[in-house]
Amino acid sequence: MSRREAFLAVDVVGALHIVGTLIAYLSLATLVPAGVALGYGESVWPFLAAGGIAGGIGAGVALATRGDYRLNVREGFLVVSLTWLVAAALGALPYILSGDPQLDRPIDAYFEGMSGFSTTGGSIVVNVEDLPRSLLIWRQFSQWLGGIGIIVLALAVLPRLRVGGRQLLEHEMPGPEIETLSTRIRDTARRVWILYVALTIVLFGIFIALWATGVDEKMTPFHAAAHAFTTIPTAGFSTKGNSFEAFAPTTQWVAILFMVLGGINFALMYRTIVRRQPRAALRDQELRLYLALLVLGSVVVVTEIWTEDVLSGWHAVRAGVFTAVSTMTTTGFSVEDYNAWPALALMTIIGLMFVGGSAGSTTGSVKVVRHLLLGKVLRREIDQTLHPEVVLPVRLNRTVVEERTLRAVSSFILLYIGIFVLGAAALAIDAARTGLELSAFDAVSVSASMLSNVGPAFGIGGPLGSFEPFSDFSTLVMTGLMWLGRLEVIPIVVLLSRHYWRS
Amino acid sequence: MKIFIIGAGQVGATIVQALHDEHELTVFDLDEERLAAISQRYDVATVEGNGASRRVLAAAGITEANLLIACTSRDESNIVAAMISKACSSRTTTVVRTTNPEYLEVWREGQLDVDFIVSSEVETAYAISRTIGVPAARQTDVFAEGQVQMAEFDVTAKADPILLGMPLREARLPADSRVAAIIRGEGVVIPRGDEKIRPGDRIVVIGSPHAAQEWGKLIAPGTGKVRDVVIFGAGRAGTAVARLLLEQGIGVRLIVASRERARDVAAELPDTRVYHATGFDPDFLDRERIADAQVAVFAMRDDMKNHFAATLAKVHGARFTVAIVHDAPSQEVFEHAGIDVTVNPRQITAEEIVRFAHDPRTQQVVMLEGDRFEVLDLTTRRDSEYVGLTFKEMPIRGALIGAIVRDGTAVFPRGDDVLRPGDRVIVFTESRRVPEVEKAL
Repeated sequence: MSRREAFLAVDVVGALHIVGTLIAYLSLATLVPAGVALGYGESVWPFLAAGGIAGGIGAGVALATRGDYRLNVREGFLVVSLTWLVAAALGALPYILSGDPQLDRPIDAYFEGMSGFSTTGGSIVVNVEDLPRSLLIWRQFSQWLGGIGIIVLALAVLPRLRVGGRQLLEHEMPGPEIETLSTRIRDTARRVWILYVALTIVLFGIFIALWATGVDEKMTPFHAAAHAFTTIPTAGFSTKGNSFEAFAPTTQWVAILFMVLGGINFALMYRTIVRRQPRAALRDQELRLYLALLVLGSVVVVTEIWTEDVLSGWHAVRAGVFTAVSTMTTTGFSVEDYNAWPALALMTIIGLMFVGGSAGSTTGSVKVVRHLLLGKVLRREIDQTLHPEVVLPVRLNRTVVEERTLRAVSSFILLYIGIFVLGAAALAIDAARTGLELSAFDAVSVSASMLSNVGPAFGIGGPLGSFEPFSDFSTLVMTGLMWLGRLEVIPIVVLLSRHYWRS
Repeated sequence: MKIFIIGAGQVGATIVQALHDEHELTVFDLDEERLAAISQRYDVATVEGNGASRRVLAAAGITEANLLIACTSRDESNIVAAMISKACSSRTTTVVRTTNPEYLEVWREGQLDVDFIVSSEVETAYAISRTIGVPAARQTDVFAEGQVQMAEFDVTAKADPILLGMPLREARLPADSRVAAIIRGEGVVIPRGDEKIRPGDRIVVIGSPHAAQEWGKLIAPGTGKVRDVVIFGAGRAGTAVARLLLEQGIGVRLIVASRERARDVAAELPDTRVYHATGFDPDFLDRERIADAQVAVFAMRDDMKNHFAATLAKVHGARFTVAIVHDAPSQEVFEHAGIDVTVNPRQITAEEIVRFAHDPRTQQVVMLEGDRFEVLDLTTRRDSEYVGLTFKEMPIRGALIGAIVRDGTAVFPRGDDVLRPGDRVIVFTESRRVPEVEKAL
């Protein structure tokens, strides 16, 4: 026993070893944009250098902390929180090293890195199309890596992590509980990843087909790959300044379909598609509510923009559905600048930001299942006010949900709202301090959008805007919100507790 | 028949009482005093020893036995005894009593080498659900896969006037039913058409299930179909009752005293409403409108708790109370307290088991009034003296045929109908005349 262990109840050294190992492997991902740079004759070295630096530090930390350690629940929180913090730094390195004027400031680059891995999709870049293609692909690819989770990837691909992985996965996978597809967590991770890769390839194929058949001339192989990387993970970075507005209506409908798929529980999708158990999907209460809310949100937005004469006909339907789906699934693509839409439509969009997709999907935000469970708990509370003795277990898909989980759901939602409010307040105050033109409603929308990993918000941070005008402090606040949102708050908040560090 | 009975508890004693006249019984128990109590009253052999021991069974001559009834209060002992018996003597029929419905399930799937299994809980649940079907009845039972129902009623002055003081022949009684017996104090009348029903009589009716319900309405006007039942206690018996009632589409509320059990039951039975409360809290009874339930069932493990809770519920307006009693003496106490129906699981289990010892033609036996009377379901022989006679001509000798089952369908005979060979008859008789009736038919 080392002295440090006696002092701290957390095995920091062991946690660092895992983080170092993960980052060392993750740095290999820079080879992808390096390849693209090579292909387009752009500068390769920012990626190789970034990979070398991150890989070297990661491997160095891993080697220095080698030893016999035992990781359990406690260390899991630290590993997951740190991994994502460092991954965003890895994402930022090529931006800084490239020296591109739009992204070379470290704080801005770090924001962009976090927005990438956390699949938020809000960008500091003003003119996306001015960036080199290799840098663009790195932005897109970082979202694809972050989409289903870095640790899921590690568990699925890496030979051995020396940890069980269940706790790590529990903190990283969205939703109150993880749904396993096999007895070994590793096999679950592997299957989820295979499905993720398969969906990406299918979408890429469809985009290419649209381009090849002349339906959408703008969807070149480069853009097809770039958008395939960011649609399934419901991420939202685009290689076009006006996002999906640049593409044909058919392409937009395809994107809608795949955003919806990205918001479905991957375990459930695996059962339905691979194991041919469509009944499980039909009966799944979360999936049904998810689809119902998508339809409801779409109908409301379409009605609002059509009746207010902003748009009409198929254009209104497409724009309304795309916006509602993109927002609720926390993707953040856009086909219209909704800043000019009526207030009611904007309220609906803010509301949709707090919904999110299913647990075990690639979406951010609260998640449909938590809303479902909270609704059931509230209904039970009302019933029990009238009948104090009645015993009412809350069921999800006919299975009784443990009281512990229900409490966790309620406290999660409270914490989530608390952080959202704090974030909005910080942004509003800072905007007033620096003289940034940001209304209270805009501040609220930015906080909600960042925490829910949506991306675009209202005002200057709108679909066609950029977060570049925000002060460094605000940029850091937004970066923090993305980090908190991606890991669903709890693993990070736990680290702030004194009881976490002391036995 | 040579019968081994393992266990001389309440079930065992009830079985001995029912069978000792006609059969050669050997009773096994570890408790000397229980055996002594039995051998003092009945002419049976007793063996002090473990019935689940091969040595003990072999020494008593298991190979000679036609039937082995394992009815101790311990399921596993019963199953082991039956399995050892099967191993030693394959032609001995084995009957096992269990309190765990899961064993019943395993046995039904053919994974338990036992000939018959009787589950107290399931039988009790059936008894209670039948009572609830005809709430006015003291006891009811069904025959021929539910086509024929027997019901025993207490006639009071509240009964429909068309019943009272009028010769049966003239009264407009429900179709497809017969009054099989009128029990008047210590005596019994097998009624002819000129007999009259009087308040204070206890009558046994055999008829179609619909007719049984009609009778219920005549005896206690104002009782209809039951939709809401409250069950106190969620042990195996209470849960079994709840499950059965739910299957019949009856709404169930369960009152459970233990918090954990309440949670488990609520998880297990999603369609019930479970309350974590005791039946001893008047505020709770009023607040949750327990009295609004048409039937309250008391299925707690302790007779005294059931008694108290049932009485309290009565005081707070419960209309119809059914209680499970575990000790035979409690039955009197419950009846005195005005509890409408009492169900004794051990009695019911004994009844179920006893039918295996009857004439093989006998499909089912129901005991009434503590085995003073029985209702049998048996098939007539070709050479029976009654075959070929019309029901009008049949002499009444302490027995009455309430229904016949011909080619699988129930027929409720009129005076001109003829009894044919091979008919299954549902016949009421005094217990002491059972051998006589079996011989005659």
